[in-house]
Amino acid sequence: MNPNPPMVDAMPLSPEPAAAPPLIHIGNLDKSFAGGAVQALSGIDLDIAEGEFVSVVGPSGCGKSTLLRILAGLDGYDGGTAALGGVPITGPSREVGVVFQAANLLPWFTVRENVALPLRVGGHKGGNSENIEALLEISGLTDFAARYPYELSGGMQQRVGICRALVRNPRILLMDEPFGALDALTRERMNLELQRIWQQSGKTVMLITHSISEAIFLGDRVVVLSPRPGRVLRELKVDIPRPRNNDTIISHPSYPALAREIRHLLTGQGEDA
Amino acid sequence: MSSATTAANTGRSRKRTDKAGASGTAISAAGLVVLLAAWSASVQMFHLPPYIMPTPQAVWHALWSGLAVNPASRVGYYLPLWSTMKNSMLGMVIGSVGGLALGSAMAESRLVEKLVMPYAFALQCLPKVAIAPLVVIWAGFGDGSKITISAMLAFFPMLVNSFAGLRAVEPERLDLMRSLSATPLETYRIVKLPNAAPYLFAGLDMAMVYALLGTIVAEFLGAQQGMGVVITQAQAVSDVAGVFAALIILGVVGILMHAVVREAERKIVHWGERKK
Repeated sequence: MNPNPPMVDAMPLSPEPAAAPPLIHIGNLDKSFAGGAVQALSGIDLDIAEGEFVSVVGPSGCGKSTLLRILAGLDGYDGGTAALGGVPITGPSREVGVVFQAANLLPWFTVRENVALPLRVGGHKGGNSENIEALLEISGLTDFAARYPYELSGGMQQRVGICRALVRNPRILLMDEPFGALDALTRERMNLELQRIWQQSGKTVMLITHSISEAIFLGDRVVVLSPRPGRVLRELKVDIPRPRNNDTIISHPSYPALAREIRHLLTGQGEDA
Repeated sequence: MSSATTAANTGRSRKRTDKAGASGTAISAAGLVVLLAAWSASVQMFHLPPYIMPTPQAVWHALWSGLAVNPASRVGYYLPLWSTMKNSMLGMVIGSVGGLALGSAMAESRLVEKLVMPYAFALQCLPKVAIAPLVVIWAGFGDGSKITISAMLAFFPMLVNSFAGLRAVEPERLDLMRSLSATPLETYRIVKLPNAAPYLFAGLDMAMVYALLGTIVAEFLGAQQGMGVVITQAQAVSDVAGVFAALIILGVVGILMHAVVREAERKIVHWGERKK
């Protein structure tokens, strides 16, 4: 019900200190694999404000998933800072919900059991079952609550994955190419739903994606990463009003230039500003 | 020997008829009839004496005389079968639980894995029934030696399968549990164990057969009762038809146990992961 946080428009694009500290702060972050042989991320700077929706795009293997894993507390980092709410990340946090590629549901659990999983583990005993039912309701899964994942379409599976990420009511949602495996039309519908859920919940979202149109459709900002070692090539503000819709967004005056610039940045064809 | 093969053949064709349907059942039944007829005809044709090769009719007679008796009778199959089943099931449970426990410890801890793995493989290569005489010396001719040998034989398939199954978890599922700050026990119980279920059932299937084998071998070495005793007693008086009948009983028991395990797997591993 919360309107889209207006602070997004006021957010400076450069890491110039704002009044409220950013919820997610990444400063000069380095990460390498194989004992330093493979540099995955190099000097990443990125601040994300509370309630903001940031899309991250980059070529395959640029380390965008690594960036997400660091924020999720699943991987460590070699240099720089990564902090949530001013606290350096040392491991998984209760403030973070992760939406994985291809849903990653447990096949031996029903839809409801999958959504309830975060309330059963990690010292989070019991929990509010009305939250489960409410989430199933808003994502249209109530009638499928007793079904098993293999009985669901890919789009529905990922809706379950999103509900599961939201059930602990985290402040931050990290999404790792969640709709990559879906067909184009399902993907558009999921984008619309995700926008609605985000606008209702006021969560802070970082979305990793391959799709330029998805990045623009959902993001308040689009962060473009370079090929490995990943660094931030550019941050682009998307000032297209919400709620956005799949038909009108392409006809918005600033859409073509945005899409073209992101594509050029990704393909390395010079930078047409 | 040939009746054991027959039992195995019908077991396999029965599995196939699940898919092939009624015509498959008819074909395998016809095959059995042809086999029995050929067996009967060749025994008569080559004038084989009954202490070398009995006719199917003689085997049937022996089988029937062991079955159509009071279950408490000392000449029937029921008491020895009960003794053999009891000991092999006990051994199977002990061996499987032990195998699962050590397999789990190895899968969870690199230290335990490094400590145990070389010895586990060395023991795996040893023909374990060769230890049976030693076990009889230590545990005597009673139930203890039967249960011990059965447990020993059932232990290894469960060890190997539970280790492999628990390690075969998709890393994404482990990431999920880590992102939720789940404890190792929660991850084991909620993700790894169900994930390993198909491996565990395959291990159980083998453990069952090996446990039965272990009890029979121990009974060969000396016992008061059991199907192994039935076989050695029949052999001592050149009652080959009696040996065949006992083998048929054991074959049927093996098939039934296999069916029970498969049915349990079908019920428990219900989420259609195998359909992929």
